[in-house]
Amino acid sequence: MDMNEIKEIFFQECEEQLAELESGLLRLNDGDRDPETVNAVFRAVHSIKGGAGAFGLDDLVSFAHVFETTLDCVRSNKLEPTQDVLKVMLKSADVLADLTNCARDGGSVDEARSKQLIRELEALAHGTPLPGAAEAPAKTVAKPAAAKPATAAPAPVAPNDEGFMPVAFSFDDFDPDAVPVEVPTFEISFKPNADLYRKGNEATLLLRDLSRLGEMSIHCDMDSLPSLDGLNPEDAYFSWKISLRTDKGEDAIRGVFEFAEWDCELAIAELAEGEQPEAVEGEAPMQAVPFDLSILDEEPEHPLGVVEEEEQIAAGEREAAVTALETASNVLNLASAAAKAADAKQAPANAASAQQAAAAGQTIRVDLDRVDRLINLVGELVINQAMLSQSVIENDANGTSSINMGLEELQQLTREIQDSVMAIRAQPVKPVFQRMARTVREIADITGKSVRLITEGENTEVDKTVIDKLAEPLTHMIRNAVDHGLEMPEKRIALGKNPEGTVRLTAKHRSGRIIIELADDGAGINRERVRQKAIDNDLIAADANLSDEEIDNLIFHAGFSTAEKVSDLSGRGVGMDVVKRSIQALGGRINISSKPGQGSVFTMSLPLTLAVLDGMVVTVASQTLVVPLTAIVETLQPDAASIHSFGATQRLISIRNSFCPLVDVGRILNFRATQANPVEGVALLVESEGGGQRALMVDAIQGQRQVVIKSLEANYTHVPGIAAATILGDGRVALILDVDAVVAASRGQPLRLESALSAVG
Amino acid sequence: MAPKKAASKTLNLAPVLDLNEASVLHRKLTEMRGSNIVIDASAVERVGALCVQVLMAGAKSWEEDKHAFTLSKVSDAFTKTTQLIGVNVDHLMAKEI
Repeated sequence: MDMNEIKEIFFQECEEQLAELESGLLRLNDGDRDPETVNAVFRAVHSIKGGAGAFGLDDLVSFAHVFETTLDCVRSNKLEPTQDVLKVMLKSADVLADLTNCARDGGSVDEARSKQLIRELEALAHGTPLPGAAEAPAKTVAKPAAAKPATAAPAPVAPNDEGFMPVAFSFDDFDPDAVPVEVPTFEISFKPNADLYRKGNEATLLLRDLSRLGEMSIHCDMDSLPSLDGLNPEDAYFSWKISLRTDKGEDAIRGVFEFAEWDCELAIAELAEGEQPEAVEGEAPMQAVPFDLSILDEEPEHPLGVVEEEEQIAAGEREAAVTALETASNVLNLASAAAKAADAKQAPANAASAQQAAAAGQTIRVDLDRVDRLINLVGELVINQAMLSQSVIENDANGTSSINMGLEELQQLTREIQDSVMAIRAQPVKPVFQRMARTVREIADITGKSVRLITEGENTEVDKTVIDKLAEPLTHMIRNAVDHGLEMPEKRIALGKNPEGTVRLTAKHRSGRIIIELADDGAGINRERVRQKAIDNDLIAADANLSDEEIDNLIFHAGFSTAEKVSDLSGRGVGMDVVKRSIQALGGRINISSKPGQGSVFTMSLPLTLAVLDGMVVTVASQTLVVPLTAIVETLQPDAASIHSFGATQRLISIRNSFCPLVDVGRILNFRATQANPVEGVALLVESEGGGQRALMVDAIQGQRQVVIKSLEANYTHVPGIAAATILGDGRVALILDVDAVVAASRGQPLRLESALSAVG
Repeated sequence: MAPKKAASKTLNLAPVLDLNEASVLHRKLTEMRGSNIVIDASAVERVGALCVQVLMAGAKSWEEDKHAFTLSKVSDAFTKTTQLIGVNVDHLMAKEI
């Protein structure tokens, strides 16, 4: 693996960390005060900084460092994460993402912006500490220059008969008040696994960080150490019993082992008062030579990675390194401050982190091309299997042969393989939604509006191709919603609304599709203006009689924009028609519903996968069509009594005492010139996007099967009324019906029939 | 170097005794068994727990072999690390015989 590959992995991890960072900040913004959330945010920035340091990405490191310092203040309860603070932090997260992208792809970042944010972050970090916050860390952060490096007492004392060697030193030694009498003592048992070392962690460094928390005595258990012959030099044999006297709390101790927790056995117990291990007693921390541990600070494997990176920034400035040392220890100190206040919270927090680790599971990174190739191959396999079954059925008269049994099993296996492969591609929509959060923030900033983005159903999974193609239309729509949809705060107040506008982004599964809804609580569509604009732009006749719905849908026309002044965000008049086209290209549909004064809701319905679908194979006017199974509610054989005429051409079918319009598929697709006799055919009751039910008339049902979608757009061109094509078992091409388009056409919105016919021919 | 019998061999420890060095050190020590050994740790700048393990296992083996295992010179970093992790090397330190 060369350096570039490692770097690429780093950037991939950065993406994950950035997502984690943003979602954590948003949770904080929503009032989540779980210390674990703050820790997660802190860890994300810290990991990025650590990696960036290793690759010498100085810009990234220095920004992440400032960011981290401020987050540290939040972590230590020194800084209250108010909305204002979080605003700066969210912006910083954006800049951090920019810097990461910049480091990956080149290009430049808005330096003025990052400088400004660095100033803001620093201002926050140096703000007045809140009363009651941990005093020691406040001091060192506020006056790093005044802080001294480890002034500590070594332990030039012979080990006692238990083999305990006292290693007593403290950062607080220059301040006699900092060591109160009733400092609790923790008994820590630490047994690393071989993995700990293999992952580049180092027990010595963990112990060093531990020793910085307070007065420490240590006993190394060497009993399991074999002689040289039996020794695996990379296995772990040592284990330690440590007694640590610290006022930093158990969380700080756990913090030391944060990155090694899963690779060691760790037990921490607080000793009851008065129960003091004798080894610590009698130590005089003020005397003797400082125990300078800085000699051990060179390792890049430093579990917190702070020192080394710090030195890069400071370019050898010793003072800065000292500050870093202080920060390193503060990182540990500060974590405890919150926990000290609420001991009871510790257990759930620990349980949560354990859960998190379990949930993380094991993953591998796979090149997307490989997955795509696999999916393609499985698609071919499915087609091949279908062809094979068909030819066996055709050639084999007695249907009980073992070949048929085998074929059935093969079919089941192919099916399972296909499902599993599809599952590989399925991804939650979360990353796209998170990107939208940023879009909202930026537009809100530029437009001077106050916007709150609420996302729901982020874990809804959908095929990766869908996700990738979703980002662009969503961005357009969000821009539109904030720029055009929401009113300015003053106007909102005047209207009696909350000055802060709400944009709600929801994802959910519905009958085998994913529904994404974007709702704003703005002014809604100004139908008068839309209509006027459409007339001005010659989109409609001046006297056209349009329903509200039709007017709303005008905004999807190309070259339509109602914004009075064209902003650099939206208003170029390409937005909504581009959105509609991208959604349609995905096999999706977009609807709008708007209530004046209450806002608009855009609803997108998209297929979960673009690769396969379960379909019902039907015959219409001697053509074979596939109807997506997800659309079909039921099938029925109509009898003459249940068919009713309605108007000149419309017919209704009565099903269980309700009427449902009959849609003659063959007529709409122009497969035939006259209406078919419903009694001779089969009716497929379908649910359409609008919610209503329709009965599609087809001539006969051939069967139900899973078909591999072959795009018509890619191989031919878009055909109205037809969603895609597939290859059947006999090698013939069958068209997949676009149920919603056909239903819409039955309502009088004509398909462009010429192209539909040419596709069939 | 501490006064020693002529039969003793000397092993100079590398400055960085990390994960990678543990196997190297293990091999070197295994090859040198069968006679007294003097370890020179004066160049050590950084030592990890794994290498300390190897050294302590070495000391144990030498003791079993009834040969002397002595640390002649130790660097500051070496002393501090062993002290930090609670490994007592005092009994291995070279003493006037």
